[in-house]
Amino acid sequence: MLLLNCPWCGPRDETEYHYGGQAHVPYPQDPSALSDEEWAQYLFFRDNPKGPFAERWCHSVGCRRWFNVIRDTRTYEVLAVYTNSEPRPQVGAGVEAGGSR
Amino acid sequence: MAKLLPEHPAWLWRDPDPRSSYDAIVVGGGGHGLATAYYLARNHGMTNLAVLEKGWLAGGNMARNTTIIRSNYLWDESAAIYEFALKQWELLPAELDYDFLFSQRGVLNLAHTLQDVRDSTRRIQANRLNRVDAEWLEPDEVAKVCPILNVSPDVRYPVLGATFQPRAGIAKHDHVAWALARACDALGVDLIQNCEVTGFVKDANRVVGVETTRGRINAGTVGLVAAGHSSVLAEKAGFRLPVQSHPLQALVSELYEPVHPTVVMSNHVHVYVSQAHKGELVMGAGVDAYNGYGQRGSFHVIERQMAAALELFPIFGRAHLLRTWGGIVDVSPDASPIIGATPVENLYVNCGWGTGGFKATPSAGWAMAHTMATGEPHELNRPFGLERFTTGALIDEHGAAAVAH
Amino acid sequence: MADLTGLRRSPLDGLSADIRNGAAGEQSVRLLERPWLTMVSLRVDPRSEAARRIEQVLGTRLPRACGEVTSQDAHDVLWLGPDEWLVVSQMGADVLVKGVSDALAELRDTGAAAHAAVVDVSANRTVLEISGPSARGVLEKGCPADLHPRAFDDGTAIATTLARIPLLLWKVDPNLFRLLPRGSFAPYVARWLLDAMQEFTPDRPALRGA
Repeated sequence: MLLLNCPWCGPRDETEYHYGGQAHVPYPQDPSALSDEEWAQYLFFRDNPKGPFAERWCHSVGCRRWFNVIRDTRTYEVLAVYTNSEPRPQVGAGVEAGGSR
Repeated sequence: MAKLLPEHPAWLWRDPDPRSSYDAIVVGGGGHGLATAYYLARNHGMTNLAVLEKGWLAGGNMARNTTIIRSNYLWDESAAIYEFALKQWELLPAELDYDFLFSQRGVLNLAHTLQDVRDSTRRIQANRLNRVDAEWLEPDEVAKVCPILNVSPDVRYPVLGATFQPRAGIAKHDHVAWALARACDALGVDLIQNCEVTGFVKDANRVVGVETTRGRINAGTVGLVAAGHSSVLAEKAGFRLPVQSHPLQALVSELYEPVHPTVVMSNHVHVYVSQAHKGELVMGAGVDAYNGYGQRGSFHVIERQMAAALELFPIFGRAHLLRTWGGIVDVSPDASPIIGATPVENLYVNCGWGTGGFKATPSAGWAMAHTMATGEPHELNRPFGLERFTTGALIDEHGAAAVAH
Repeated sequence: MADLTGLRRSPLDGLSADIRNGAAGEQSVRLLERPWLTMVSLRVDPRSEAARRIEQVLGTRLPRACGEVTSQDAHDVLWLGPDEWLVVSQMGADVLVKGVSDALAELRDTGAAAHAAVVDVSANRTVLEISGPSARGVLEKGCPADLHPRAFDDGTAIATTLARIPLLLWKVDPNLFRLLPRGSFAPYVARWLLDAMQEFTPDRPALRGA
């Protein structure tokens, strides 16, 4: 059971949240301009690192706000929590990672 | 204590040091990796090959799955590859001369809602068109197949019926791995353990070898068969895979007298249960929602799975839990596997089996071996290439037949 | 509008009289329903002039942090999110909604922006009250939030789950909690609570289905 620190509500059990996968994946500026390969990358390909991973969570039974978490997918340690309007904190850099681009 | 445990039959195969070069290298010594090596040697005469395993043979998902084997998938492409596997399962004990306790005790897939009933009926029709054995059972017939199942209408999710595949069943997973390992070794394959691949040696865009914790090994062809760690290896090779690694949990009870004669799966309340030959009840849950490489998941997932099991099987109310564990499963966007070429020449991948790879061990190995040996996909895996995510020709087994294993 | 209050039914109407009238365990824990409270959902940017006007109408500040409840004679305002509140009121919903709407219309007449949503959601939830020295012990059987006084102050309210059901949990004082589940979940929550109360109410016969 993860204990996640909602930026608005404080520490709550994982069961109060909904997982949203990789963070910082912007919707394409001009989707119709993308090639099929680029569209496939946007639609289906996500990073899957073993190590620090910036991901989205929603406090779905609480304040219903989405926010970002950097969590180590190997140890499940939460390294940072930040709101969508904050930049990604520099934590966990240099740790073994796969697909980290 | 050691004497009480079944002996790990490491004497069935050699424990060689890696040579400097092989015609082909299979990265990953789980069930699929061993099957790939076996069929490379048996079907294609490639015996100058090695399986590289970072830990010990079959210590990952091959040792952690719930051993269910079935082929009642919805789509034609899926039915083809899983039914091919089931036919091989029927032959392999004799072929490998190893009784790995393949037991065709049937699999029930329960329907709890009217939509479940409609989907199940549709799947039965699709299965029959693909010559996969499938029948619909009403609740009283379900009770005859599995008397300990609660089919009373007075529960939260009553059993409205079930699909039944009589040829489906279970096998003893570690024995399957040992049988394949012995056969590989006999054919001259080097099974190299404690040998982690740390990088890929490339000539322009062509792979020519791997860097490992035991030195560089050259290879003409390399196959990635690393399940939950596929993304990590692909990253080292310079490309991405459309898979996400999730923890998947399972558990066993203490040993009991035989009470459960078949395999029961329920997508709706999400649990799947069989009773192993020794007597332990084997149950699995759904994946944890988050990405994870920890081989452990969150407690509430197991708790809810137990609640589902108890509703279906009130008799388990006094059973004792023995162990829970987790494996790392690589889930693809359409819940179907990825077997084929990669953006790197001579580098092939078999991944994306998600929660249901064990049952496909023979066909995954067969198709991957063909692809590695010939450079072309086998008919079985032609629809399962990476390119389907660009063409859009997905094989969408989410909610069709892939989940709940 | 015709008075329809005679026709309305509480979500727990179908359950035993025990729950509606206050189920027992005289010493340790007690459960009852408080149906028909007015509830109004508010969404507004708390930094806006519209929010200030709404606060004037309510006669109290909108809470700014999770857990905070602000009160005035007739209303309690519960924080649901950084721009969302629930007003629980003794006042009629139509009066309350009209009061807020008029204030926002007045603001709009001055040419200012007045973006806000004010909706009568009285039928969305019901209110259960669980009270007594063992109330926290009962809730802790099925609530993932930390209910210890060091983490959960008197007079605060949070959105969380009980027995996997999303609800608002409002700690009025150490021995009195209000639960606000949605109507369709209320019978389940009530039955679950009665069952969880059993150990604290040994004289009570086991719950039967209604």
